[in-house]
Amino acid sequence: MSRKILFFLSSDKFHAQIWENGDLGKPIYFLNSAEGLEQLSDFLRSHRDPTYILVDLIEEDFRHEVVPHLTGSNHHDLVQRKFEQYYRSTPFRLARRQRRQSDGRRDDEILFSALTNPSRITAWLELLLLHETPIAGIYSLPHASIPLVKEIEYDQLLLLSWEKDAGLRQSYYFNRRLRFSRLTPLNPNTSFAEAVAAETARTYQYLQSLSLTPRGELLKAHIICHAQDKELLDASLPSNNHIQYAYIDMQQLGKRLKSKITFTDSDATPIFLHQLAIKPPRGNYASAEHRHFYFLWQTKRALFGLAAATALICFIWSGFAFMQSSGVDAEIESLNLQSNRIMAQSREITQGFQNDIQNKDGSIVTATDMKTAVTLFRKLQLYAVPPQKILKELTSALDSFPRIQTTKLSWQASNLPGSSYPSQVITFNGELADFGKNYRSALDYLDRFQLALTRAGYMVTPIKLPLDFSSKGSISADIREGTDKPSEFSLKIIWRPQE
Amino acid sequence: MTFSQSDFPNIKWSLLTFLLVLTLGGSAVFFSQKFTHKTQTSLFNAQQQLKEARNRLNAARDDQANMSDYTQEYSAIQRLDIIGDEQRLNLIEDLDTLRRRNRVIDFKYTIAPQQIYTPSPPLDSGNFILKYSNMKLQIELLHEEQLINFFDSLRHDINGWFILDKCSLERVSSTSAQLKADCEGGWFTMKNRNAK
Repeated sequence: MSRKILFFLSSDKFHAQIWENGDLGKPIYFLNSAEGLEQLSDFLRSHRDPTYILVDLIEEDFRHEVVPHLTGSNHHDLVQRKFEQYYRSTPFRLARRQRRQSDGRRDDEILFSALTNPSRITAWLELLLLHETPIAGIYSLPHASIPLVKEIEYDQLLLLSWEKDAGLRQSYYFNRRLRFSRLTPLNPNTSFAEAVAAETARTYQYLQSLSLTPRGELLKAHIICHAQDKELLDASLPSNNHIQYAYIDMQQLGKRLKSKITFTDSDATPIFLHQLAIKPPRGNYASAEHRHFYFLWQTKRALFGLAAATALICFIWSGFAFMQSSGVDAEIESLNLQSNRIMAQSREITQGFQNDIQNKDGSIVTATDMKTAVTLFRKLQLYAVPPQKILKELTSALDSFPRIQTTKLSWQASNLPGSSYPSQVITFNGELADFGKNYRSALDYLDRFQLALTRAGYMVTPIKLPLDFSSKGSISADIREGTDKPSEFSLKIIWRPQE
Repeated sequence: MTFSQSDFPNIKWSLLTFLLVLTLGGSAVFFSQKFTHKTQTSLFNAQQQLKEARNRLNAARDDQANMSDYTQEYSAIQRLDIIGDEQRLNLIEDLDTLRRRNRVIDFKYTIAPQQIYTPSPPLDSGNFILKYSNMKLQIELLHEEQLINFFDSLRHDINGWFILDKCSLERVSSTSAQLKADCEGGWFTMKNRNAK
């Protein structure tokens, strides 16, 4: 928890208390005079913590209104209109949306309030701003008391507290929503119990006159007090048909609010100051100008926080990266050692089979060169195929077809697609003999020859046939001619090496 | 809430601290990332080096296993005068010897100047330069079998290695020869780049 400066302003007194870790320091009073202002200046020079101002003044007005439900700028304009209508003369005004009605037009219930005598606070506030004090907000005691009644489930509640420097504060809540509050200065000759009895009855009459409390309905009055005053109060305040009294033990309340304060009397000021320090209400009377230095203070804190977070993230990030890398260094070293060991092993093996083979120029043949030369030569065998291998099957086929005579045979190495090594393209020119005009028989004989070559592993494509019987060819013949003219043909035969 | 220039002195130290931390932290992250990247690259290189070393070891072991085969084959290639400079004088003498053996009726040859040989499809020749001397042959034959025998002798009886590219065999009406062959090929050699 951090340190906070809490100011308490009543009609004629102004004091500061330092709140730190749930504990509240001794009050430092400032007189409403030039000397008091000088004292405050000295105090502000040595205290730069966020500041909360709690005011407990008679001149605070409350107006409960039901207005149409609006949002954004429309709501803002409506609120400003109401402020100008009710509280034109003060800058310290507040509008709290309490709830939205569940039936009808579903209007909003808003509590408008204001500190109607700004001169009570202005002098102190100007000095605080002069010293660039980070003012978090200006809160009134009735608004600060709202969180205390959240756990009390009762429709009509009157919360009573006594503030030593201000007087008796009575705040009326309807369904746990603040409706109005009034402060009564206590006469020094009147006891706390007497004042409570008199003022509670007046408040009840006031509520009756406003028809806020229906006739016959019970008003529950909760009094914040010290344990030693409880018995005295209980004896002086008999409950009746209209008002029922209950007591909130100040020490127990403080304990519930995690306060370390020790209460010696029924002064509730420390409770409200502590409540303000731990959980300030949503709205307050300070304007943006009043809170300007608090905003700067927050910005400074945010920047320092960001700097710390950045430093931490960068430290973790870079630390993690360096840690990871240092682990990798060991792995690299191990890999390099392995590589060196394996390379040494390879060298040992290679040196082991260095032999006496020398080239004709006397140079030693390395194992790699020897392997390259042998591998290359093995592959080149498929580039230099002997004619016997290419023509062997063709010669055998020709032996089986004696009526085919070779007129010209040529072959050439060629790089054909689909083969890793050169193929041989053979051009075979031949003649078909002894078939006379029996074209059908001659063509059948040639077909069988081609089939035999294909079966032997060649790819055969006819380039020229003895007679073109296709519809696209032209045919001419001399019928009187009776000679047996040999029929010439030409075939393209492809031989592929066996890889 | 708005900022004005007059507010700057109020927040200057926190702003400067933030900017300083941002700069220092950013630099630390940048350099750590750079360092990590460098280390990762070194790790990758070391892994590649190990992989290469393992491959070399495997290759060395394979070579060790095949060394006796390679040695024998290399010696045989060497004996054929395929490795080193072309021995053209020996070649001509051997072709004359072949002519005297009368494997064919007659043959004529023309050997062109030696050139760089590029196999088609291409082959990886490693540390060797491949060379090729083109030779054109005109051969007169009695029958086809003589051509087969002639190239068989060219392959086995002459020191060198002849790659036959193309050949054309045709009937002729001559007094002595029945067939005429026009062939073309080349004598192949390979030379180590490191050799003198």
